[in-house]
Amino acid sequence: MTDNRPLSPHLSIHKKVLTSIFSIFHRITGMGLSIGSIFLALWISLLALGQNYFFIFEAISAGLFFKIILFLWSIGVFYHLFNGMRYLYWTYGLGMDLKNVYTSGYVVLFLTLLSTLSVWFLLI
Amino acid sequence: MRKSYFSKWVVQRVTAIFLIPLSFWFIYHCVSFQKFKYFELQLFFQSYVNSFLFLVMMIFMLIHSKLGLETILQDYISSSSLKKIFKRMINFITFFSLFLVAVAIIKINMV
Repeated sequence: MTDNRPLSPHLSIHKKVLTSIFSIFHRITGMGLSIGSIFLALWISLLALGQNYFFIFEAISAGLFFKIILFLWSIGVFYHLFNGMRYLYWTYGLGMDLKNVYTSGYVVLFLTLLSTLSVWFLLI
Repeated sequence: MRKSYFSKWVVQRVTAIFLIPLSFWFIYHCVSFQKFKYFELQLFFQSYVNSFLFLVMMIFMLIHSKLGLETILQDYISSSSLKKIFKRMINFITFFSLFLVAVAIIKINMV
């Protein structure tokens, strides 16, 4: 394996179309959620360690910064979840014609927006 | 080599399928977690069903993350030595997180 092989997918030479943007965001949200899963592990650990340790989480979660991160995390979760379902559907070779690919993309965006807003309306 | 990539591809999708209902279950409870105090959260995880579902969700989530991150590495990092370092980091973080979750769940349920 040489070190200077071209990178794939060749992001820089592609024209930015909706389908590629969906794919890039699936990866970006995936990376964000991976970091989120580490924090979930830390959260349950603090809960197991006892009230004195869980206070650390309660202090952090009271801040605005935490709420902003939580909001972005919820968008990431819903986007990755709905777009992931779209990809699973494609695994069976279904809905892969251009019209359906675009329609399902818009459905993913709509469901992400709807779910995020619904959850936050319940939270507030 | 080809066979191992195929099995990773399958595992990535199988974990994804299981994560769909588990994520909805967890998000649904997250809404009420906001109002929960420490003892109410402890009580939530002292239920074997909740503990089991959370543990399974975390195991599948961490495996799914590990495989996804490895795919991204494969696609965007050309240096094989750098790739090796990142792969080791991902492995370590995945197993350490799994260890934390398992120990935490056991400890909560032993109280």
